Amino acid sequence: MTVMREIAWENCLLEPRRDPKFERRFRRATGRPGGSVLYFSGIPWLDETTVSFNVNASKRVSIDPELVGLIGMIVSQDNSCRFCFAETRALLRIFGMPERRILRLEHDLLSEEFDARELAAIGFARRLSRSNPPPDKRDIDALRVAGYDELQIIEIASIASIFIYFNRVTTFFALPPYAIEELPDRWYVRCFRPVIAFLLSRSGNTAQFEPLESGERKGIFSEVVLGLDGLPFARSLRKTLDGMWASTVLTRRAKALVVAIVARALDCPFPEKELTESLLAEGLRGEQIDEILTHLASPALDAKEKVIVSFARESVRYQPARIQQLGRNAMQTLSREEFVELVAVASVANMICRLGIVAGAA
Amino acid sequence: MDFSWISLALQLGLAGLSVGLWLLLRHSRQETGRLKQRIESAAGKLQNLQLAFSRFAPDEIIERVIADGHGGIGEKKEVTVLFADLVGFTALSEQTEPTVLVGVLNGYFDRMSEAISQHRGYVSTFIGDGILALFGALSPNPWQGNDAVHAALAMREALASYNRELVERGISELSVGIGLNGGAGVAGLVGSRDLKEFAFVGGVANVAARVQDLTRQHSADIIVTAALKESLDPRFQLRALPTTRVKGVAEPLSLYAVDGFADIDEARG
Repeated sequence: MTVMREIAWENCLLEPRRDPKFERRFRRATGRPGGSVLYFSGIPWLDETTVSFNVNASKRVSIDPELVGLIGMIVSQDNSCRFCFAETRALLRIFGMPERRILRLEHDLLSEEFDARELAAIGFARRLSRSNPPPDKRDIDALRVAGYDELQIIEIASIASIFIYFNRVTTFFALPPYAIEELPDRWYVRCFRPVIAFLLSRSGNTAQFEPLESGERKGIFSEVVLGLDGLPFARSLRKTLDGMWASTVLTRRAKALVVAIVARALDCPFPEKELTESLLAEGLRGEQIDEILTHLASPALDAKEKVIVSFARESVRYQPARIQQLGRNAMQTLSREEFVELVAVASVANMICRLGIVAGAA
Repeated sequence: MDFSWISLALQLGLAGLSVGLWLLLRHSRQETGRLKQRIESAAGKLQNLQLAFSRFAPDEIIERVIADGHGGIGEKKEVTVLFADLVGFTALSEQTEPTVLVGVLNGYFDRMSEAISQHRGYVSTFIGDGILALFGALSPNPWQGNDAVHAALAMREALASYNRELVERGISELSVGIGLNGGAGVAGLVGSRDLKEFAFVGGVANVAARVQDLTRQHSADIIVTAALKESLDPRFQLRALPTTRVKGVAEPLSLYAVDGFADIDEARG
């Protein structure tokens, strides 16, 4: 973990806030202490998302449980997320992966002796995360050739996308990774590893095929949700998107701009029509929308929107210290709640745009 | 018959064997530890190298180099090219001590590279006192044209500040000419078997260099082509220059001098 620990990381942008009720709920649902939730609780849809995405990050319907951990590790490493990387690494250690193997994975993940099937999944997850260029039909076909069925393919994409979301949330807030980086080497974790593993696994790591109900098939960005049909994560994502869209911390216009800018940066066409309709309904004219998306600026933007637009753009491909600094500057214009929601919306936007590309390619 | 000496010898032999085995085990553990340390150190160095190399080429290309040893795949891309060159540097180099000159040049490169990377550009190469920077070459960037011109304005500002330092030290001011052009070309690792660099090949880069040559003729430090102007934010303050013929391009080029940007706060964002 030497190189990950060398990544420059600002002091946390948020002061922790105790919320015993939410902490208890998180612990019950995930089986984990959840120290990180102290930093950004308080916005209902985000609280719900934090719990449900954490549950979904460790559950699988049809893929190998170890593959879930490997995808988490490689995506977090790729996104330079010290916090998520350390957390995934600690979980792999606790669940019994030998230290030596983890070290080999950290240093050179792709030269590790994976079989072709594992390599295809890991390569796909990395490509989805980088989106430089985004995955296309050939990447999906490579997974099919490697023996994955359609449900497994969307599950690999969904696991990678959950980490794409969490990597951004934890990095943009600069959540302190130090304690969790040291955790696997603490004497009590070493002594009680099997007990901790048992306690963590009590929450269960398998889920059943769950098709969406008819009411869940509609709503904002339904194309992405429908692409995940069958996974419990599709239901969680539906709730997240509905909650995010209905929230009043940031205006709907600001949220639509964030998603539109991320979509433009990733050359992802799927949300364009919905977002244009939404932005028109929120008082922007067609030429103003074009101006904002082409130049990231317009006299139609107010002071908060200017900050939001700039942050949205940086959220796609970022260096931790730089975006953390940008976040600190943004907090001079936005309230704590507005900044927290901005980070969450930008992270969701990065997730759904990448998933939208997969849905389009499949 | 007294077998006590045999028993004693056996016990001594067993004890010796145990000590020998223990020493062997300890030695082998030490060796394994040392080996593990060396492997980890080498792997760490390799990863550091990979991380450092990622500043010079896209991750995908680095991985291909690691996997197949050459990574020689070109890719067609839309890129904005910025070419900057010091004006009157030859005269300065003749009047200045070599050590001072190298210091001045390094200070200049540091400040210009910083301005370029702040605006998401990447310095492809230094050619003598010239800088070739690319925008949108490492990862897709739909706002690359604006970024490149903002970078040029930031370079102008950084140079003005550097010149104040130089004058205080009794050194002549530097002056730069910057040419910018955008369009499609091929990006990839090019070079000989022994020396390769990530480069953008095509007419777009050549035209940017030619446009930079015209900065003196038009008394403008930043010039953009009409092709790039199309993608620019209307708040850039552009001044039309006379159409000019350049070597290697059939039609005369429509060119614009960049005077500034109407909203300086956003330019810094």
